[in-house]
Amino acid sequence: MMDLFFKPRSVAVVGASSNPKKDGNIILQNIINSDFSGDIYPINPGADEVLGLKAYPSVKDVPGDVDLAVFIIPAKFCVDAMKACGEKGVKAVIIEAMGFAEVGGEGTELQRQIVEIAKEKNIRVIGPNCSGIVSRDITTSFFPFKDVPRGNAVLIGQSGLLAAGMSSDLVVNKSLAINKVCSIGNKCDVNENDLLEYFGDDPQTEVISMYLESIADGARFVPIAKRVAAKKPVIFLKGGRTEAGARAAQSHTGSMASDTKIVEAAIKQAGLIQAEDFTDIKDWAKVFSTQPIPKGNRVAIVTAAGSVGVVVSDICAEHGLEMPKLTDMTVERLKDVFPPNMPPANPVDLWYSIEKLGLVKTLETTLAAPLEDPDIDAAVLILAGMSYTMPVLDEKTVQKITAKYQKPVIICMLVGYNEYKNRIMEELGRDLPVFTSIRSGVLALSKLCKYGMQRNKNAG
Amino acid sequence: MIIDEVLAQAKKENRSVLTEIEAKQILFEAGINCTDTRLAPTKEKAVAIAEEIGYPVVLKVSSVDITHKSDAGGVKVNLKNKEEVENAFDEIMASCKKVQPNADIEGISVQGMAKPGLEIIMGMIKDDTFGPVVMFGLGGVLVEVLKDVSFRIVPIEKADAVEMTNEIQGKKLLEGYRGQPPADVAYLQDMLVKLSNFVHQTPQINEIDMNPLFAYEDGAVVVDARIILED
Repeated sequence: MMDLFFKPRSVAVVGASSNPKKDGNIILQNIINSDFSGDIYPINPGADEVLGLKAYPSVKDVPGDVDLAVFIIPAKFCVDAMKACGEKGVKAVIIEAMGFAEVGGEGTELQRQIVEIAKEKNIRVIGPNCSGIVSRDITTSFFPFKDVPRGNAVLIGQSGLLAAGMSSDLVVNKSLAINKVCSIGNKCDVNENDLLEYFGDDPQTEVISMYLESIADGARFVPIAKRVAAKKPVIFLKGGRTEAGARAAQSHTGSMASDTKIVEAAIKQAGLIQAEDFTDIKDWAKVFSTQPIPKGNRVAIVTAAGSVGVVVSDICAEHGLEMPKLTDMTVERLKDVFPPNMPPANPVDLWYSIEKLGLVKTLETTLAAPLEDPDIDAAVLILAGMSYTMPVLDEKTVQKITAKYQKPVIICMLVGYNEYKNRIMEELGRDLPVFTSIRSGVLALSKLCKYGMQRNKNAG
Repeated sequence: MIIDEVLAQAKKENRSVLTEIEAKQILFEAGINCTDTRLAPTKEKAVAIAEEIGYPVVLKVSSVDITHKSDAGGVKVNLKNKEEVENAFDEIMASCKKVQPNADIEGISVQGMAKPGLEIIMGMIKDDTFGPVVMFGLGGVLVEVLKDVSFRIVPIEKADAVEMTNEIQGKKLLEGYRGQPPADVAYLQDMLVKLSNFVHQTPQINEIDMNPLFAYEDGAVVVDARIILED
């Protein structure tokens, strides 16, 4: 059933427009620009043709079957469009129009009617008040999209505009290999539970990031989320948290409860990774989608400046990461690139070697050796936005080294000139997780390690 | 089934609050250990029950109208013999009738007096989003001030119960602090699973407080309980 949304064989755009400024034009263009190869039917009673495609006055007039209909018409016309879909036998509808339950009053009534028709005619509905789907196979967003990757990360968002904005940022900047983005808006029918189940079983989806303002069906959510989270990481940001225990409870237990505490309990129970901010849901998705899952939390820090190493160590400890001593074998391997009076240790200090050998040669030893160390599970690499770092980008040194070992590496970039920093973000950041603060990088790594350890524990 | 009988009785009387005796009967049937608590409509019956349970005993007024039993002078503890039980019975009746003249008093509950243990609170409420949730915490003043409690969504598994007892900040007190014996945490975790199973199967119940519950090195017992039904 959900495949009708993500892999339809034919799609109708109700409200398709020739005016390039209209959402109905952008949506149609997005479908054309995607890899979608089925029939596309613009629906517009005032046009014979839209973007070179034959247009029809109503879904009912379309000659072939319609798997999916996307509505981008004013709310007041959506009920009739739903009825037409019911008659036509359309089984999947995305309503991107606004003006429903989110505005109250008449909008709530319109949404109720939509749900009624959906139930009667057995139609699944995404939205209303959403931005639909972004994927290589089909994109129905009202933001323009091109070249959506076939990545391994999925975003589920409640808000339409945010999902559209965030995914276009990720696609245009190539900063996250997304596979699908789905905005569910008012979720009058399809909700996070349906999507979690679908993406949980979807072999292309390896990481799920989710932002919700409300949970539609909490009693179902916990078991479903738990089942999916056991298979793949689910990063979850819940908006609208409040300490106020707005409940008229008569019991002591009731007076102890607050929405925040209960949501947190549900997140822990389901094994979800709790995010605090929008940047978390994309940064952590980047780490989980590009890095192998570690077996433990023992971290090596590789840095040009010793003082940075001290602070990184502190922050690692604060986030439950350990910094073990390097094994004798690793110390032996590093001796040549360390000054004679300074024994190699964790954090691994690079300045001496960089001056002698340059950064590329330095990393080939100083990043590779700790990653080979059996006592190390992951590494934090500190890079500077300086000209001496650029050969590392040109030769893809970090990518080559990390590809050799099944251990995660995150990169933090603290100082430098914008010219070089931007290159690092653009080029290295495409393949690997690059952070502009130690705290955000280490936090993301700690989530990955925690997930890996939990998974290990569950596997027995 | 005692549960069905009690719920039917409450419904017949059109009340949503169960008496402590009813609450403990129900919990006992759900496999949760409670202090032996029985209703004595008369002084003679109170003495007979006390002799059967064994001294010392606790006497508490039993009335759905009196929520704060201690404030109404409706609780007497550590009664060691027949005479003390008789006196306590009269004093409780006199005091409660004076404080709440209109209260419907069905009698006095006679309860075995639990030996002191680590004070625990367990309970259940219904959340608008998630439905029934269970709670675990250390009882007493700390729980009120610090709200050091953990929740899980019903139904829970043993692993969830383990997380619940591990999650509280006052966890060290469970492990035996400063020479105190450790609490039987596994037993408490078991109780949480039983509570969860029970509420999962009994949707008519809206809220449960088991407060306090005394935890020992070996086992635990519910000393006071309160159950509120769906309206």
